[in-house]
Amino acid sequence: MTTQTKRVEVPQGWEAFAWKWMRYSGVLIFILAWIHVLIQDILVGVYQIDTSYVAARWNGGFWRVYDFLLLFFAFSHGMNGTRQVLADYIHSEGGRRALNWILLILWAIVVVVGTITIFAFTPPAG
Amino acid sequence: MSFKTASEGYVRYQGLGNWAFVLHRLTGLGVILFLIIHVLDTAAVYFIPSLYVDAVALYRSPVFGLGEILLVLSIIYHGLNGLRVIYFDMINPDMWTIEINRKSVIWTWVITLVLWLPAAVVMGSHILEHLGG
Ligand code: HEM
Ligand code: HEM
Repeated sequence: MTTQTKRVEVPQGWEAFAWKWMRYSGVLIFILAWIHVLIQDILVGVYQIDTSYVAARWNGGFWRVYDFLLLFFAFSHGMNGTRQVLADYIHSEGGRRALNWILLILWAIVVVVGTITIFAFTPPAG
Repeated sequence: MSFKTASEGYVRYQGLGNWAFVLHRLTGLGVILFLIIHVLDTAAVYFIPSLYVDAVALYRSPVFGLGEILLVLSIIYHGLNGLRVIYFDMINPDMWTIEINRKSVIWTWVITLVLWLPAAVVMGSHILEHLGG
């Protein structure tokens, strides 16, 4: 069986931006998340992770900025993805608007909490 | 909740490409669920340092260990399949034919397994080493 592909014009707007966002952020997270998981979960492993491990990693600026980029891009990608999935099951205008607001608020809370953690953390004394 | 949209609702198409899409969806949802928990438990290291130890202790239990192995599978599959979709969508849309899609899905699964198996062995042996204390 053969198929033919067909190009269609998509209206430019907020949803088109969200669609592109999933793709551009995906390329970036591919690098950031894989390296993070390779180091933390496979090479180091949870048995060696504790407060002083995190203190050592967040000693300089590099891993703080890295973790922030990972937080921002992976979380925004994942929340927008969740929005897309749920919108497939919610069909009313009002329902989708409510969904957007709930997810936006949840997104903001987690990003703020995560960002404070990354940049305000100082190693405990002793 | 059923995958109405994907497998029986608006489009009746149950090829490999559809399975790739369903798995992409499930792994994406799994990882975002983990990530919410992960950011909050990491937040303990700053907000409630004494709790961080307990949080990590949870991750060390064998059940969580298995969960982490599945999480790594999800990240590998979702990432590779995501790159495949991105390449088709943004660079070479002519590849969106059933035949090419089918072949590329099989390759995605093969590469996923090849990358995941060694990771699963390393992680599994960490779990075994720490069984019983
Ligand atoms: C590893 C690199 C990643 C790449 C290359 C990637 C790529 C993509 C792409 C291209 C889509 C759109 C699929 C479509 O429209 O059919 C997508 C959807 C999604 N992604 Fe990712 N992603 C990555 C990581 C992540 C992470 C870390 C999370 C969770 C935090 C995540 C959660 C999701 C979710 C929930 C969706 C929506 C699924 C759907 O609409 O069916 N992704 N991803
Ligand atoms: C189970 C496997 C994983 C382990 C053991 C792990 C471990 C850690 C540790 C120890 C930290 C503390 C900071 C540091 O050392 O850099 C951290 C932070 C972080 N991880 Fe993971 N990680 C895992 C999986 C993931 C995945 C799959 C993602 C993303 C998709 C992710 C995203 C993040 C983010 C965004 C932060 C910063 C959190 C914050 O804002 O406070 N991690 N991780």
